[in-house]
Amino acid sequence: MILQRIFALVLLAVCIALAVMAWPYQAAFSYEPVGPRAYPLLMLGLMGLGLLYLVFRPTPIVHKDDEPALDRPTLIKIAACVGLLIVFAATFESLGFIVSAILIGLPMARLYGGRWLHSAIVVVAMSIFLYWLFDRVMDVPLPLGLLSVLEN
Amino acid sequence: MDTMSYLGQGFGVALSPYNLVTALCGTLIGTVVGLLPGLGPINGVALLIPIAFALGLPPESALILLAAVYLGCEYGGRISSILLNIPGEASTVMTTLDGYPMARQGLAGVALSLSAWSSFIGAFIATCGMVLFAPLLAKWAIAFGPAEYFVLMVFAIVCLGGMAGDKPLKTFIAALIGLFLSAVGIDANSGVYRFTGDSVHLADGIQFVVLVLGLFSISEILLLLEKTHHGHQAVKATGRMLFNLKEAASVFTVNIRCGLLGFIMGVLPGAGATLASAVAYMTEKRIAGASGKFGKGDARGLAAPETAIGASCCGALVPMLTLGVPGSGTTAVMIGALTLYNITPGPLLFEQQPDIVWGLIASLFIANIMLVILNIPMIRIFTRILAVPNWALVPVIAIITAIGVYAVHATTFDLFLMVGIGIMGYILRKLDFPLSPILLGFILGGLMEQNLRRALSISNGELGILWSSPISLSVWVLTACMLTLPLLRIWRRRALQRRAMADA
Repeated sequence: MILQRIFALVLLAVCIALAVMAWPYQAAFSYEPVGPRAYPLLMLGLMGLGLLYLVFRPTPIVHKDDEPALDRPTLIKIAACVGLLIVFAATFESLGFIVSAILIGLPMARLYGGRWLHSAIVVVAMSIFLYWLFDRVMDVPLPLGLLSVLEN
Repeated sequence: MDTMSYLGQGFGVALSPYNLVTALCGTLIGTVVGLLPGLGPINGVALLIPIAFALGLPPESALILLAAVYLGCEYGGRISSILLNIPGEASTVMTTLDGYPMARQGLAGVALSLSAWSSFIGAFIATCGMVLFAPLLAKWAIAFGPAEYFVLMVFAIVCLGGMAGDKPLKTFIAALIGLFLSAVGIDANSGVYRFTGDSVHLADGIQFVVLVLGLFSISEILLLLEKTHHGHQAVKATGRMLFNLKEAASVFTVNIRCGLLGFIMGVLPGAGATLASAVAYMTEKRIAGASGKFGKGDARGLAAPETAIGASCCGALVPMLTLGVPGSGTTAVMIGALTLYNITPGPLLFEQQPDIVWGLIASLFIANIMLVILNIPMIRIFTRILAVPNWALVPVIAIITAIGVYAVHATTFDLFLMVGIGIMGYILRKLDFPLSPILLGFILGGLMEQNLRRALSISNGELGILWSSPISLSVWVLTACMLTLPLLRIWRRRALQRRAMADA
């Protein structure tokens, strides 16, 4: 309940900030009665109303039976997983696909309870296989990065 | 009988060897994707969009591929719900109720093939319905002006909330988030950059694939962290693989009834497979009365939701193809794919590109037959896939998702955006917000704004145009009904509670 209220308030604040951002949007030359500002403001306004209602009357969250409660270790794991994904995004081009995929895939497999050796085999094999599959077979260009020296 | 000749032409397109192979690959990929935890039809189809584009498939083959993947995913979800008692997604919850008990009784193969058969009949009925009604609807839809379209989209959004049942407010908020997100980027009419924060990467808006994969794949990866199971022990599929005639005959009337029901539910925007399967199951349970052993492995309890799901999936394509208004998350993704190919779904699609429309419809038939046939030899292999542990699966899902996102624009900005959207999706999920309205809102948002502005340009700013024509007026009335539906339901529940309190 309290989480939901906080979330609704934060989203409401974001809505207001975006509305302030949208306020000066005006077309330099306008041929139509409705400018670029009306629609986003309308949506933000409606969303704001809904969120206000949610702040005062939060709806109870129905938990599924198999859904464990969030505890500290799980939260740490989730933060670590997000961190890994960000590292992946950051190194995707500079290190190249294969290296960065191995770099984040290995800790990620560990995070989900794999053993070092097993994870290493699966992740390394899959990174190379996926690179070959997408870049070579399916024509989806992926960056080689560090490994570009190996080419030709 | 124009329709018949068009359908024949469609089969001509779908039966070409190239498209047959495409459909076969699609059903296989789809089944595997649907089997894996964390990947459903929405991610499956979204992941394939950039790849189909990169492969240089012609539009009709790409659509056939996506439709086959869609059906395959639905089928894969069925396998995990029957053999593992774990519904792959919300719509297959009803399948577990009788499918899993059947599998426990040693009828796993029968249950699987029977579900495929039911789904095929459902899809067949719905496709017949589509063949009959879609051209009519398309002809009628040509009379729609921008004002009518705007009202129709408002109706679609409101329908979502009205049908979603227990949490209309959260559904509305989610839909509004999607509607708002569609406004990010350069405004086509005036050239004003909106909400881009001076970033070049946001200038042409948030990419659809990035939004879908962030919301669904990344948030699912984070959700999987909470459950630390290491693969599942599936019920062994041994013995008879195919249902016999007696079993098929015993569920035939159920199939017909639920097929019709599912089709109608599928056409209505917002209702979709989840609601259709639930209503079908409940109805059949009531009809069977005391004679049924629903919940303990009754074949009818398996056939009812499966037929309804199959029918509603195809039914959902009707508003998408004729009006360009998607009714479910997956059809929203398919519209995203169509726009990538520069095809605008809508009434004119039937006249201008009959090959695509009828080829798609024909390939739905073919993909369904393929699934029934594939089921028999492949089921043992599929069950083995279920045993893949999460630690091997999740990194691969993460990597493939990243490839899918990177393939769209080849910028790492999209990867960061995907992670951000994924975190947002995770939080929304934890707070019990439904995610597919965001997608639907995102797809409808652009169309909605354009139509609103066009309508108001026609009337020179006069708001009256939005309810001047009889069509728009009647849609407004329907919208009002849909808005009061959840209120009525809440009111009734409260009244019931009060009575219960008074009794106690």
